[in-house]
Amino acid sequence: METIYQILHTTFANVPAWAVQIAAFLIPIAFIFGVYPAIFALTTLVERKALGRIQNRYGPNRVGIFGILQPLADGLKILLKEDIVPRVADKFTHFLAPVLIVIPGLLVYLVVPVAPGMVAVDLKIGVLFALAVGTMSVIALFMAGWASRNKFSVLGAVRAVAQVVSYEVPTVMAGVAVIMAAGTLSTLTIVQRQGGGLLNISNWYVFRPWGLVGFALFIIGGLAESARCPFDLPEAESELIGGYHTEYSGFKFALFQMGEYLAGMAMAGVTVTLFLGGYMGPGSGPGLAGGLISMLWFFVKLAGMIGLNIWIRGTWPRLRVDQLMGFAWKVLLPLALVNIVAVGFWHFLTPRPLAWIITTGWLVIWFLVLTKCNASAKLEKREYRYV
Amino acid sequence: MNLAFWIISAVTVLGALLAVSLRNLVHCVLALILFFIGIAAHYFLLRADFLGTVQILIYVGAVAVLILFAIMLTHNVTGTDGPREILGVKWWSGAVIAAALAILLKKAILSDPLAMVLPAGDKAQSSVAEIGRALVANWVVPLEAIAILLTAALIGAVVIALEEIQKSR
Repeated sequence: METIYQILHTTFANVPAWAVQIAAFLIPIAFIFGVYPAIFALTTLVERKALGRIQNRYGPNRVGIFGILQPLADGLKILLKEDIVPRVADKFTHFLAPVLIVIPGLLVYLVVPVAPGMVAVDLKIGVLFALAVGTMSVIALFMAGWASRNKFSVLGAVRAVAQVVSYEVPTVMAGVAVIMAAGTLSTLTIVQRQGGGLLNISNWYVFRPWGLVGFALFIIGGLAESARCPFDLPEAESELIGGYHTEYSGFKFALFQMGEYLAGMAMAGVTVTLFLGGYMGPGSGPGLAGGLISMLWFFVKLAGMIGLNIWIRGTWPRLRVDQLMGFAWKVLLPLALVNIVAVGFWHFLTPRPLAWIITTGWLVIWFLVLTKCNASAKLEKREYRYV
Repeated sequence: MNLAFWIISAVTVLGALLAVSLRNLVHCVLALILFFIGIAAHYFLLRADFLGTVQILIYVGAVAVLILFAIMLTHNVTGTDGPREILGVKWWSGAVIAAALAILLKKAILSDPLAMVLPAGDKAQSSVAEIGRALVANWVVPLEAIAILLTAALIGAVVIALEEIQKSR
């Protein structure tokens, strides 16, 4: 925001300061409200196409060339649908839930920098803000499930709450590793720390032993918190019809979809910022050209993360509830704690090769121990007695 | 600044009032969440960004969710309205206790030297670095004591749950 203010102030010198101030406020908000929902609309199309390819079918290809107008047609269709509210539903809460679910996803983008200086609010505690706000969507999910007065909805809400609360812990712990290494909570500074090196790439945190582990933890946590496959138990359509949004139709249902996708994309954006160097890449830097290249790099990485999400959704089956909980508490959380110790090693061991060897060894040993301890019992050979 | 303060205060007080006066338990929790967010907004207004974020992370993200979870695990999930007993004996005794507590707190807050320093307002810097330094330098023993206490509580909860599982088998 400060950068935009300065740019506007120098280019339009004769415009009063208060007008420039208001414009500097409105431009990032318009950007967030315009760009990310547009990416959401495109993502729905790309996802359906990609899933179609994975499942050996075409996907939408009738509306416009390559089905490019499909999101528009979907939006129009869903606007014209009848909005049905169950007679026994808690009307006010039932109405409020789809409104609230979009907000946390949008708030996270406030602290995700897209180019040098281009962040809506450069909060000193940006990472913490993103993690704190990102989990608020669970309240909207609960409201939706509870207000519907439907046992499938309530079950979905129970699952959603338990899942988000469980996976919040390892995700935050994985973020702590980055915060320790960068020595700051500001997202902009964390991205700057990942610049330099070979082609602006070699200093990304994902290319550190602890960074790779944190990256994996963060992707898993992000998938679980936005309830995407393979963690989509809250809305498991084969068991719970639709989970918390069983009783929603029309545009309210669309808002649920939108909130879910925005939250998933927000987690992808935070992952890019923390581990993939944010806007850093070959050619990125200050100035107009460097800024545009930086922005391109950020959105390329964001698209890559969204693509990874779609790929995972198309290829992995859903977890069971007990597997879900055990995975969070018995594997991810210890691994995240061990990862924090690894960052400590990395920080204090002076010759870099030594630090590489020791942190890698430490993490590999713990990974093997944790996987060995949590290995499921070998299945006995089945005996079919009544053939 | 002043207008924002009044708006946020109105919302916060509304949330608190609804939390104690609504008859449906889930509605009360949702009002309580509104109150928590209002308090967080107050912290942001005072430029205490760390405190505000932690307020959201802990109170909205953990405490309120825990309450919701407790409600969902009880039998009365639909949250039918409770008995309407305003101005009964319980109400009056509660009011007396609350008033006494408010008077005590007011004295304590006004006699604290911090109350005189606070209105720095607009120029105040982010406090997270100082908080971190204070926690691991001056207050490291209380911090560790709290950590041990919480760990013990966590393990205790697991032990109690384990006993029940073994009984039911």
